[in-house]
Amino acid sequence: MESLPDAIVQYILSHMSNAKDVASCTSVSTRWKDSMPYLRSLYFPRNIFDNLKGVETPDRIVRQIISQIFQLEELVVYCPFSGAGLCSWLSIAGPSLRNLELRMDNLVDQHSCNDSPSKLDCISAAGNLESLKLWGVLMTKSPKWDSFKKLRNLEIVGARLEDPALSDALRACPNLTHLLLLGCEGLRSVSIELLQLEQCKLDFYGVGNCSLSLTSPKLEYLEVQGCSWIRVHETQCLRNLSIANNSGRVYMVDFGKLVALESLSVRGVQWCWDAISKILQMASEVKNLYMKVEFTGDFEALLPFPEVDFVEFFNSHPKLQKLDIHGAMFAALCQKNSLKNVDSRFVIPSLEEVVITVRSPLNAEQKMSTLESMIKYGRNLKKMGIKILQMKSSHSSADDFFEDVCRFRYMNRKVVSIE
Amino acid sequence: MSTKSQEKQLITLKSWDEEEFVVEESVAVKSETIKNIIEDCGLELIPLPNVDGKTLAKVIEYCTKHSTGSNDDSEDLKKFDDEFLDSKEIPVLIDIVLAANYLNIESLVEKICTKIADRIKDMSVEEVREAFKIENDFTPEEEKKIRNEHAWAFE
Repeated sequence: MESLPDAIVQYILSHMSNAKDVASCTSVSTRWKDSMPYLRSLYFPRNIFDNLKGVETPDRIVRQIISQIFQLEELVVYCPFSGAGLCSWLSIAGPSLRNLELRMDNLVDQHSCNDSPSKLDCISAAGNLESLKLWGVLMTKSPKWDSFKKLRNLEIVGARLEDPALSDALRACPNLTHLLLLGCEGLRSVSIELLQLEQCKLDFYGVGNCSLSLTSPKLEYLEVQGCSWIRVHETQCLRNLSIANNSGRVYMVDFGKLVALESLSVRGVQWCWDAISKILQMASEVKNLYMKVEFTGDFEALLPFPEVDFVEFFNSHPKLQKLDIHGAMFAALCQKNSLKNVDSRFVIPSLEEVVITVRSPLNAEQKMSTLESMIKYGRNLKKMGIKILQMKSSHSSADDFFEDVCRFRYMNRKVVSIE
Repeated sequence: MSTKSQEKQLITLKSWDEEEFVVEESVAVKSETIKNIIEDCGLELIPLPNVDGKTLAKVIEYCTKHSTGSNDDSEDLKKFDDEFLDSKEIPVLIDIVLAANYLNIESLVEKICTKIADRIKDMSVEEVREAFKIENDFTPEEEKKIRNEHAWAFE
């Protein structure tokens, strides 16, 4: 290794970011020790300091290592630390840091709020951040952030938030292109205005009645879980949209024109009929459609879906290539206006792949008829997968249905498969 | 430049210990250094005084595999890279990375450095010194000081 140029030694060592490896490498030789300052990235795993003895604290050790690095660009800390510690680290490395990832552990920490500088506030010292990821955050008060002008990516996972605190935090990140809020509770009414945002993934815990208003004209990808009221007006770039609600009812969706939408996913226990029919209608250009909503109904009562005419459905989504449809929604598809009377030129032109999940043998005849129509009119259909879930086989109709499906599969062997 | 665009141009590479390797030009120019020599001087026999025959053979093996035209992300190539690197001890990897650095084959340098860093992670300080043939040039006091500072890393 003596013959290796310094640049290569540094290049090799720069691929080490785990602080434990870095520390042990400093004691190999003076040349290795002297290469340490050129590292760009440091990572402190969760349990790295579990066996500390004596007076050493994680805060101090991290500080000592950071102080030896010229230009730290990335810092990832999963081990426990204090606000004071974070402040001291960022007073050294703040200006050069581009990526910061911290396990805040604030949700379980009892005495985090009062005395020492708040961890969230300290982050301001890293004014040139491009990416910030925080785990286990308590953000009930607005963080004292100036402005992270270079911040492009913000991820908060596992958090308790308050509406105004989140608003203020986002206001400090005007140039965000990627936003992820996962497993966040405490929010009721979220209003986001981020003009550069391209990808947004929101997952709100609670009773599922959050309201969301989003203004991001460059948005291409949006995934929302846990909202009952969603308004997104500037949707000219939106290609991928997923709306789910695992605990509440989706009451209203108010979107701009979905001219660029290629993929749509609607999921949840209950959607108001107005909301779901509206979004399906607007998504006329979609190629991929995933539908798994169990009930409709405007109030508490969970109602089955009204019938949706098979021909109308496919005519209003002519570019549909892939369809994944579950239980209740599949059951609602039928030939309301009997296919015998339909224009003989009716085709389902682009459909290539269908996945159908059935749970109940009710209306078996109608379901079989729908399956047959898909094959008959889907001239480009290459694959049809039928998943049969949790069917209560105590009923003889379940066995009959299953037999029908098997016969159907046999007759269309090239295309159909059963799980 | 070359009017014989139908025939594959062949280049001869010569290591410092006089071993000669005949390779297609498309393989040889994976090395920026060789590419520049060909463009500037139009040589067909290129002496490489900084590389020995054994190492040059391995570098050529890598370049040949990576000039088949297939996507750098393909499964086959990744598998080849893994086997190519995993089968070699650190001293051999060091020889190759030195050659790849001199020949300016960026992708190979990057892959070897990553692999070496991976290997070092699981090695003790003594094992690292042995693999890299590094002399411990700390004084006993210096070494003791460092070990104390990072006692938590030496469990």
